Amino acid sequence: MRNSIQILFGLVLLSSSWASYSAIRVVTTTQDLAAIAAAVGGQYVTVQSLTPGTRDPHFASAKPSMIRKVFRADLLLVIGADMEIGWLPPLLQSARNARVLPGNNGYLDLSTAVPLLGKMDGIVSRAMGDVHAKGNPHYWLDPRNGIRLAQAIANRLGELDPEHREAYQQQFTDFQNRLNNKFTIWRNELAQLKGKSVIAYHNSFIYLADAFEFNIVDEVEPKPGISPSAASLNALVTHIRADKIDLLIMEPYYERRSAQYLNVETGIRIAVLPQSVGAQTDIKNYIELFDSIVTILKNTIGK
Amino acid sequence: MSNPYLYAKQAAGVLVMLLLSTSAAIASKETDSLRKQLQEMKLQMQRIQNTYEQQIKALEKRLDGLESEQSRPATVARLPAAPRSAQQTNRSSDFQIGLTGLLSAGGSSVDNASLEGLQSGGHDPNKNGFTLQNLELSMGGTVGPYFDAQANLIFLIDAEGETVVELEEAFFTTRSLPHGLQLKGGQYFTEFGRQNKQHPHTWSFVDQPVILSRFFGGDGLRSQGVRASWLLPTEWYSELYLGMQNPKGETVTSFLNAPGEDIGGHTLIDRSVRNFDDLLYSVRWLNGIDVSDTVSMNLGFSGLYGPNASGTTTDTRIIGADLYLKWQAAQSQRGFPFVSWHTEILDRRYEAGDPGDSSRETLNDWGMFTQALWGFKPGWVAGLRAEYAKADGNTSSDPLRDTRKRLSPNLTWYPNEYSKVRLQYNRDWTEHLADETADSVWLQFEYNLGSHAAHVF
Repeated sequence: MRNSIQILFGLVLLSSSWASYSAIRVVTTTQDLAAIAAAVGGQYVTVQSLTPGTRDPHFASAKPSMIRKVFRADLLLVIGADMEIGWLPPLLQSARNARVLPGNNGYLDLSTAVPLLGKMDGIVSRAMGDVHAKGNPHYWLDPRNGIRLAQAIANRLGELDPEHREAYQQQFTDFQNRLNNKFTIWRNELAQLKGKSVIAYHNSFIYLADAFEFNIVDEVEPKPGISPSAASLNALVTHIRADKIDLLIMEPYYERRSAQYLNVETGIRIAVLPQSVGAQTDIKNYIELFDSIVTILKNTIGK
Repeated sequence: MSNPYLYAKQAAGVLVMLLLSTSAAIASKETDSLRKQLQEMKLQMQRIQNTYEQQIKALEKRLDGLESEQSRPATVARLPAAPRSAQQTNRSSDFQIGLTGLLSAGGSSVDNASLEGLQSGGHDPNKNGFTLQNLELSMGGTVGPYFDAQANLIFLIDAEGETVVELEEAFFTTRSLPHGLQLKGGQYFTEFGRQNKQHPHTWSFVDQPVILSRFFGGDGLRSQGVRASWLLPTEWYSELYLGMQNPKGETVTSFLNAPGEDIGGHTLIDRSVRNFDDLLYSVRWLNGIDVSDTVSMNLGFSGLYGPNASGTTTDTRIIGADLYLKWQAAQSQRGFPFVSWHTEILDRRYEAGDPGDSSRETLNDWGMFTQALWGFKPGWVAGLRAEYAKADGNTSSDPLRDTRKRLSPNLTWYPNEYSKVRLQYNRDWTEHLADETADSVWLQFEYNLGSHAAHVF
């Protein structure tokens, strides 16, 4: 009797370990994609992000530990639009996992799932700074795109794991409903932002502006990725005064000196916005990201 | 005198003109309607053509479908998932081409002849005045579902002002072998330590470490061959490389270097590869772990074994260890701030002279370098490198075997990702120079054009 209990216990252990092994291993380049994948994948997936939300994913440095993660992945989710161009191609080459190479089912470039803004026509020169010809890759900052991303991820998970296809679709529908409800609330909370002129540090908030209908009229960086100079800051001071702009938004990882200088010179208010899930330790999922952004914006403009 | 012929000619002329003008008038009235008719006919033709083309296309499609159905083996019940590349992002080809230029200017307290002994790397700034260190043309891409391939061509102007072309690397790597295996074949930098594989434009200093110039020659250790690597099934990143390369030539100087060259007083002979025993074997074990969210570490051990040309049966073995630590702030702007520390230590046993030779001896050399970089604000990196190299025996007159120390502080500014300006000071302590010490200052400029594949770690 005791023996048979032991065998049964062993079998249960074995099957549970098998079950955890058979979960779809999703690896994402950013924590935002990881958060959405976790929401639609639920208990049928394990999710790991290659970069933390505290850093700019464009400038991640490839680390050996990433090779290990990509090697074991069943599904690789990437932002695309050249966001990871500096480190993902060599990483994919080292990771030797055919499942997640571009062109195969385990590779999903999510820039194909959303309408990209800021596409460039004509000649794109590096003299323009850090420009992305394929379009601006910061598209996760529009909650409506969050729904599109979730849909694309749920569809792909269903293809890879047909057994749980309905569960993924159900979890997607739940996510969509939650996000839609929240979006109405967020838009109400930021109603006074509508139509306002705003300055951004880097050209990374155009999707947020699109979602909440404010206008980004200038950037602290004179060209994308080029640090501001004294002359460019003074030109900005003139612009801020002339157009009476009173809000500057920026990511937490940019230097604050330029913004503080503009604040002293013109009184412009500064909102440091978490740009990604994980940018602050209390932002653990996609909805909390916008909760936090909306709260900060509301508090800043309401002052 | 009246000429009836002339009169008739004039009349005819007038008549013709009249006729012409009237017909022109009529024509101008009719042109519009004619044009309209023509336009309509054209449109009709177009419509007919379009419908025909559509019908032909539809037929072609059906034909293709039928053909592919026929060619499909009947036994395959389900086809593997079709590549989606067409509808996915990669509308542009993944064939990448890039050009990197590396120029430097500077001067030293010693003359050009002495500088060649101090700056013995093939891409080091090595003369008072200007040096075009390296112009690299690099191309690569995906060959198909199974292979990637890459080639790097180097152009440089040597100390004599001659233009030199090097086929630096040309190799393929497999994409999808099972069990974490990967093969690489062609001409490539041997995976030994961390620094050897790096191309000059990714170096953190303007010149290559002394010990690498001594063991691997001016251009780094590279040759033709194959290597297999295996990603070990460990929880941390651990990779094992095993390689086999030709041991002959000026890019494998510790092995079958060019005949007539000299090492520790032994003149090299022309020795050729006869069997598998005469190839250069390499092994590397590289580990990587994330110590914390902000600190990562790489630790590697490498070994080389192959024949050398000081005798007909003589061998060389080189072993090395390398450690790389990097801290990057949790919140970093463009990858800054960061601190990195990179150290390598190498040891060589060179069997010189065949058994029975009166001059037979074993040459023991070792050396190390340790370098720290501090990216203190976006675009700015301060660096410091310390080096030491030594050999057993009386080697004080040999620039490649004397006791050597070098200290190199530098400062690098990256105006953007694709360019850099670097100022470096070298303080050298040598035994082979009359002065014993040398001071040099180098200013380096680098630019990148096109897409240059990023370098890992």
